[in-house]
Amino acid sequence: MISPKPAQYPHSVLDPLQLPGWDPRWSQIVEAETCDGTRQFHVLDTGPMLADRGIGPDDIDAIVIAVHGNPTWSYLWRHIAQAGLEAAQGNVELGPGAGRAPVIRVIAPDQLDMGFSERLEHTSLPSAAGSSSSYRTLEQRIYDLDAVVAELISDSNKAPVFSLGHDWGGIISLGWATDADVRSSGSGVEPSGMISLNTAVWHEESDPIPAPLQAALAGPVLSGSTVVTPAFLDTTLALGQPALAKDIKTAYKAPYRGRQDRGGIGGFVADIPATESHRSRNALRKVANQLSSTEKPALLLWGAKDPVFLDRYQHDLLQRIDDVVIHRYNTAGHLLAEDRDISVPVLGWIRQQLDGDNRPTPDLTAARGSEAVGDYSPLWSFLDQWSESSTKAMVDMTINDAHGKPFEVTWAKLSSMVDAIAVGFRENGMRPGDRVSMLVEPGRDLTAALYAVLRVGGVAVVTDAGLGVDGMTRAIRSAAPQWIIGQTPGLSLARIGNLPGKRLSVKTMDPIARRVLGLSGSIYGFASTYAGQQYGPTAEQPDPNPTDDAAILFTSGSTGPAKGVRYTHQKLSALTQRLQHTLHVEPGSSLLAGFAPFALLGPAIGATSVTPNMSVTKPATLTAKSLAQAAIAGDTTMIFASPAALRNVVDTAHELNTEQRTALEQISMLLSAGAPVPVPLMNEVLELVPNAEFHSPYGMTESLLISDIDHHTQHAIAGRDDRGVCVGKPLDVARVAMAPLDFLGRSSDELFEGDNAVNKLAEIVISTPHMLAGYDKLYNTNRQTRVDSVDGLQWHRTGDIGHFDEHGRLWIEGRTQHIVTPSTGAFGPGGPEDDIQRLPSINRVAIVGVGPVGTQAIVAVVEPHDGDIKPGLAPSALSDDVRAATDIDIAAVLVTHRVPVDIRHNSKINRPLLAEWAEKVLAGGKVTAL
Amino acid sequence: MTSSHASFQYVTDDFTGYNVLVTGASGVLGSGVAQALRDAGAQVTVLQRSASGLDGVHEIRGSVTDPETAHHAVQGMDTVVHIAAKVSVSGSAKEYEQVNIEGTRTLLTAAQTTGVSRWIHISSPSVAHSGASIIGAEAEPANPDTARGNYAATKAAGELLALAADSEQFRVLVLRPHLMWGPGDTQLTERIIDRARQNRLPLLDGGTALVDTLFLLNAVEAIVTAINAVDTTHGEALVLTNGQPRPIGEMIRRIAVAGGAEEPTLDLPAGLAKAAGSVIEAFWDAEKRGDEPPITRFLAEQMSTAHWFDQRRTQRILQWKPRISLEEGFQLTKQHYGS
Repeated sequence: MISPKPAQYPHSVLDPLQLPGWDPRWSQIVEAETCDGTRQFHVLDTGPMLADRGIGPDDIDAIVIAVHGNPTWSYLWRHIAQAGLEAAQGNVELGPGAGRAPVIRVIAPDQLDMGFSERLEHTSLPSAAGSSSSYRTLEQRIYDLDAVVAELISDSNKAPVFSLGHDWGGIISLGWATDADVRSSGSGVEPSGMISLNTAVWHEESDPIPAPLQAALAGPVLSGSTVVTPAFLDTTLALGQPALAKDIKTAYKAPYRGRQDRGGIGGFVADIPATESHRSRNALRKVANQLSSTEKPALLLWGAKDPVFLDRYQHDLLQRIDDVVIHRYNTAGHLLAEDRDISVPVLGWIRQQLDGDNRPTPDLTAARGSEAVGDYSPLWSFLDQWSESSTKAMVDMTINDAHGKPFEVTWAKLSSMVDAIAVGFRENGMRPGDRVSMLVEPGRDLTAALYAVLRVGGVAVVTDAGLGVDGMTRAIRSAAPQWIIGQTPGLSLARIGNLPGKRLSVKTMDPIARRVLGLSGSIYGFASTYAGQQYGPTAEQPDPNPTDDAAILFTSGSTGPAKGVRYTHQKLSALTQRLQHTLHVEPGSSLLAGFAPFALLGPAIGATSVTPNMSVTKPATLTAKSLAQAAIAGDTTMIFASPAALRNVVDTAHELNTEQRTALEQISMLLSAGAPVPVPLMNEVLELVPNAEFHSPYGMTESLLISDIDHHTQHAIAGRDDRGVCVGKPLDVARVAMAPLDFLGRSSDELFEGDNAVNKLAEIVISTPHMLAGYDKLYNTNRQTRVDSVDGLQWHRTGDIGHFDEHGRLWIEGRTQHIVTPSTGAFGPGGPEDDIQRLPSINRVAIVGVGPVGTQAIVAVVEPHDGDIKPGLAPSALSDDVRAATDIDIAAVLVTHRVPVDIRHNSKINRPLLAEWAEKVLAGGKVTAL
Repeated sequence: MTSSHASFQYVTDDFTGYNVLVTGASGVLGSGVAQALRDAGAQVTVLQRSASGLDGVHEIRGSVTDPETAHHAVQGMDTVVHIAAKVSVSGSAKEYEQVNIEGTRTLLTAAQTTGVSRWIHISSPSVAHSGASIIGAEAEPANPDTARGNYAATKAAGELLALAADSEQFRVLVLRPHLMWGPGDTQLTERIIDRARQNRLPLLDGGTALVDTLFLLNAVEAIVTAINAVDTTHGEALVLTNGQPRPIGEMIRRIAVAGGAEEPTLDLPAGLAKAAGSVIEAFWDAEKRGDEPPITRFLAEQMSTAHWFDQRRTQRILQWKPRISLEEGFQLTKQHYGS
């Protein structure tokens, strides 16, 4: 029914223009000895082209054996093939400090019956029964792969070999890489590591296979959708995120134009061992078992929006392979190799495998940096220590008790509640290492649940409400929690978003709601059921290890999808020590958090947590009155608040009565959080809290405290003309190094500290005891940000840019992605923006670059106070003022009515969005809305 | 408006002992180059049809299209700066071909046979421009087939002729100044000022397209510098700009104001202006009027798409930077037209 056909060169049947990005010189026809005789394979092999360029086998750093899936062909690997060739020209950059991109030879066969390889003879259409037939099986395809490799890699090859696969090709490549028997009797090649894109090596019989495949496997649908019509092909090619260009789709379809060419597509689907009796079942189980016992390192690159290769297959691989890292692309899909540039992570990982870990042994007694973690004390130490104290642990002004008084709880009560809830968690199956998504609004319930989760050794997954529903859903999916704790809104989100994890409610719900929401229990239920019971530590109820994960934080504010920032118990312990030190916490200290998440820290640092009456997610709703009332109720000594909250406090200060003013005069410490406070606002705040030290710490989710500046220093530097915002000197335990920017705005490989770092515009690189343990499931981000190894310490490239002044004070001038690169040299936008911001006519300003890096035109986008000025080109007088305010050559001054800023801080400018807009307008386009 | 050439103090190297032919010295650029070289000690010969009005140079009146005149002009020269061209934005194809292609070929042939060793060829960025936006790009190869309009197409062909003649013995460097302006420039500056004074100068789509321009004095100094640079780098084309792109609307406004006009305010959509430009061009051709049309398709494109360039290679090869900033240029223009 399907006739045999030999392998073909794509360019013998196609105009090369029909294969964009493909070089005809890569094509080889290889004859290999397979299990059933000599077969012809069309193979992408960049070896000959490298040789033509004078790069012989001994000059090649590594060989990548890449295996496509169904229904694609080796066209899928054209970018990685090109990158391997570009690396030989020195044109691939792996990032600062990451070393030279390896020169790789890519060998990517088209599988039999697929791509431009030989078509086998088939007397019938494929069927899902999986009975013996002429269609290739998994086991045969693994042998086929080795046969091709044997033909192309000579015995004298010394370059390390890595496997790479996608979809069903992922299974085949992983199976080949871990099957020593196949290789030793064949090619004799020993792979050094494995890379796979979306794939699946195992699913339990009870675990339904993904719906799209079930449909494809159903009876006559199989051959109808895969062979007789191109439906399966079209459906797969529609999975691009973003959609594939038409010419790329055409290129993928090129080898599958007629039904005679599509037998392999159906054969592949039929070979999915959906049932226990399927003929490939054992082969698949064998691959799975090999992966469970392999010591080879593996890299997974995963597009999360894949309707077939669902997250559960990813988790299976993460559990199964011992030495594995993953980069999960939250907004990419099944065709990841089309959706994103995977060549940099692939080459970067291979570089690391070739180099090994060269990190010097760290000095564990060092007083500064990542290893200076001090004595470990668990986050619940104060809850244990003060388990009988009747002093206040929490005051929450948003909740009133039966008598209308603000809610209060003692340390004793909080301690016993946390114990009881922890026992409940344990009894209901929560285990150390379980991830627990906390979809609970900040307040007493979240505090109790959080400390109980930490106690049990669970990993708290905290998602900032500022991410919005989509952002939170993506974040939770990525974290893949075993548990979700929420109130009705959170649990509904979990249900609608079909999020993973067993559900726990906060309050005990009625049976109907319990069933609808799929609840396994409630926090309040645990608190009463297990009241009075102490939690461990026992063999049954062990304490977590300091190096175990404690939390994964997803915060909003920066551009792009939120990254999961991973902390261990030890790093959080170091953080609490640092907070105690910076805040001068002593017994009786009381912390009023005008920024809700900080209220969570109170129990860990041994301070009373006071929550004022305000909207949890809107800092600007904090009034002077509610601040003062909370201070009175909580005997507050210190306040944590964002600039937006402080602005509103100052604006509503006229409402304060004498008692309230007196209460504020008792405050000894005020910290601004999230963004720098302008000096005029700081001075106004100080009039309300005249006895307070006003501190503005500099930090980020990756290390909450890095440096700190008090108001005395703020006043002392007022006359300086440094660029940017001064954030003071680094904490005594922190090491802050600089990676100076070159002319094109790239950070240097080498780090500079102390006198060598003064007055150099640089990316800020930190090493602190309380820094992140890494980003969760973001291999490539970790590779790029955790690249330095000075003194054996862990370092983090922050992406912030700035400089040190001659007194060792740090000044922040923006983010690396905001660097402007005119031909006169790279600079940060912060400085010129400050200059222009001083103009009385300007409300906000952003400096962005348009055009190619190294020769950008500088654009000032301004939001004038005068709303009557039309968006677009600024009037001459306004342009003159803006240009006169700064010493850079501004190509254009554009007016907008709204410079976009982030929601939470209302201060971080979205410069990439503005740059895109400016580029469009200045290309001669219409002045569109932002 | 009566036009007069401004006399600038040019800053250049010493060119004593050089024998230089400058063609097209009746124009503001050619006369500036001739003056600058004269002041730098060179023996300067100028060739153009009308009187140059320059002192201290050897003047030949005639056309580059005439082989005899060309042969005569290159005698004893070591360097040719070829500026002469038909530059207006309307006219018959034949007129352009005669000057920009055949004239170049004639002079090249003469120069190659008489021992000239340096050829500085003044071209235009439009030779490589097919109508799309140019955003921070380097000089692309000239292409007569895709260049828009008679001027650009013939200049492209002329540039290719010059580059084809390049060798170690006959070193060719092509410079493409982009939108030159300044005191005495009739091509752009005085048209803008005139039309702005008559309120006949439209801005297109808000005039936001970012364009590079070049102040005249800087153009002159760059061209003179190229006589040194061509000894080490030759056989390529370089775009020449002030390295300070500005929105076209702002440039026009500022030139108009520097010339004493009111700020132009008439705002036309680009599509309409392009269509109108074609109609007007055809009309002017048919009437054979001596005046230029108020706006042409070419200008409409110039004014509604970005045109700005990467100047790093140009500045590195010429060892030159524009000495007069745009702001200083506006001041000088104001002084010139104010007095």
